[in-house]
Amino acid sequence: MKMRATIWIMILLVLACAGWVNVDNYFRPTPVAFNIPKGWPQPVYDFKSNPLTREGIALGRELFYDGRLSKDGNFSCGSCHQQFGAFNSYDHNLSHGFNNSLTTRNAPGLFNLAWQKEFMWDGGINHLDLQPLAPMTAANEMAETIENIIRKLKADKNYRQKFRSAFGDETINTQRITRALSQFVLTLVSSNSKYDRVMRGEDTFILPEKLGYEIFKKKCTSCHTEPFFTDFSYRNTGLTSDPYLKDDGRMKITGKSADSLKFRVPSLRNVGRTFPYGHDGRFFSLLQVFEHYRKTMTVMPNTDSLLRNRLPLSNFEIGQLTAFLYTLTDSVFLKDPRFGPPGSENNDKPPVDFHP
Amino acid sequence: MKLIASMFCLLLLAGWRSPEPGGIVLRFENRAGNEVLIPGNTYVLRNGDTVTPYRFKYYISRIKAVSGDGRSVSLSDEHYLIDAADSASQVIALKDPGFPVAMISFVIGVDSIRNVSGVQTGALDPLHGMFWTWNSGYVMAKLEGSSPASHIAGRQFTYHVGGYRDENNTTRTVQLHLPDGMNQQNITVIADINAWFSGKNKIRISSTPVCHSPGELAMQLADNYSTMFSIARP
Repeated sequence: MKMRATIWIMILLVLACAGWVNVDNYFRPTPVAFNIPKGWPQPVYDFKSNPLTREGIALGRELFYDGRLSKDGNFSCGSCHQQFGAFNSYDHNLSHGFNNSLTTRNAPGLFNLAWQKEFMWDGGINHLDLQPLAPMTAANEMAETIENIIRKLKADKNYRQKFRSAFGDETINTQRITRALSQFVLTLVSSNSKYDRVMRGEDTFILPEKLGYEIFKKKCTSCHTEPFFTDFSYRNTGLTSDPYLKDDGRMKITGKSADSLKFRVPSLRNVGRTFPYGHDGRFFSLLQVFEHYRKTMTVMPNTDSLLRNRLPLSNFEIGQLTAFLYTLTDSVFLKDPRFGPPGSENNDKPPVDFHP
Repeated sequence: MKLIASMFCLLLLAGWRSPEPGGIVLRFENRAGNEVLIPGNTYVLRNGDTVTPYRFKYYISRIKAVSGDGRSVSLSDEHYLIDAADSASQVIALKDPGFPVAMISFVIGVDSIRNVSGVQTGALDPLHGMFWTWNSGYVMAKLEGSSPASHIAGRQFTYHVGGYRDENNTTRTVQLHLPDGMNQQNITVIADINAWFSGKNKIRISSTPVCHSPGELAMQLADNYSTMFSIARP
């Protein structure tokens, strides 16, 4: 009796140890290095708290394209952030949300987010991981509660397994959902436009592009600073308030009247694809934007000091600037199969334009 | 067989966490005046307004014990969300300070670092409805309900108090002296919602039914509710 018991205990102990060792190896996700394009600064995102892994990125991508994150299943992150528009709402001034509602702002393109400290046009969100919570829960966007999203994901065996591969066990919580989403969107690095190739010495500008770049460096770079083509600041550029949107911009966050109608300087990367322009998408073409700066803008008491006399631009300059801005379109990024809906990399069909 | 049985017993014992001997149990009792606050019930405030609170929640953190001679020891690094609708949330088991306690101190609110470090877990998980998604930061304390004094839709009042940045920082430190000779291990802290309205700042539901962003009003409410606590006398 005693002998048999001892043998059993030995067997159990060996199994337990073997299990311990195996579990540890089996569930370790594969690390993925974050490549910083040559000459770019260190990212501001804290990768130590959320290290990139193959499994984490894959899970984030699946979540990004999953309509179940919305109340009625129609609105994934990807429905308003479309790859062919550099992850903006392509050709939409405002995006379409739950129950035939419109958003109040233009959905910006998503790229190079690892270098961005604050999010939204007013900078109200202070961490990339927190960003998805706003569209998920806003009544005019995805209109869902975090509890319901977690419930839906927990009910799906596929997700339980993917959370385990990415994070070590089947726990599904707010932090893991948002960290996985961050991992995916952090991989959306746009650094392969013609401009980038020229800077790396692999290509050359044609004459209008070259002239445009010179004008750009004289008149635009103090706000649209290279290499991100934004200095991430908030400025009043003479955009009057829309009487229906009543959007005060940065003032809504800081409560300071000096911040009235200030909005984040948008990146100009992929600007050829991210129309309409402006925080509420009021400009449908680059030409309209140039007209705003040189003629129609309203100079207010807190309009940016660089724009006190508007921004004088000749027709010639506008032409050359446009040629330069088109070199910022990163066609590698716009078609990168790693960034489309899961499974689309094996698909020859053109991307589905799914805007509900 | 005996051996296996005793091993199981050992395992069970190892897994069982008994309350630490000498540890402090802090209970929060939410009240409206002398009555225990139960969400959905109606109360008359000291300022004469009638209210039916339906949500009352607040964060407690940095709980410390201070001895008669001024020694101070941290009793927990955790944040706790006290919810009037969840009795389990109102009891906090803490460690043994190792000396007779003269004063308990805690912060009502969430550390600024947790407001800027992405998505947190546990009591700080944004799904508890105590987080502003559009202007990142925690709602430190929340009091919602209805009142005939309110002139907005649904005769509601909704006070969501938050803000962690310098001049709008709504965290408040509360210090409560323990009366002499009271039980040191079972301390009941009373939180009276009257202070929200009748503290240093007079807040009337009729004129100010809503607070939903950091700023002056949130600071006034935070000053007010920082005085809502008292130690229940045995």
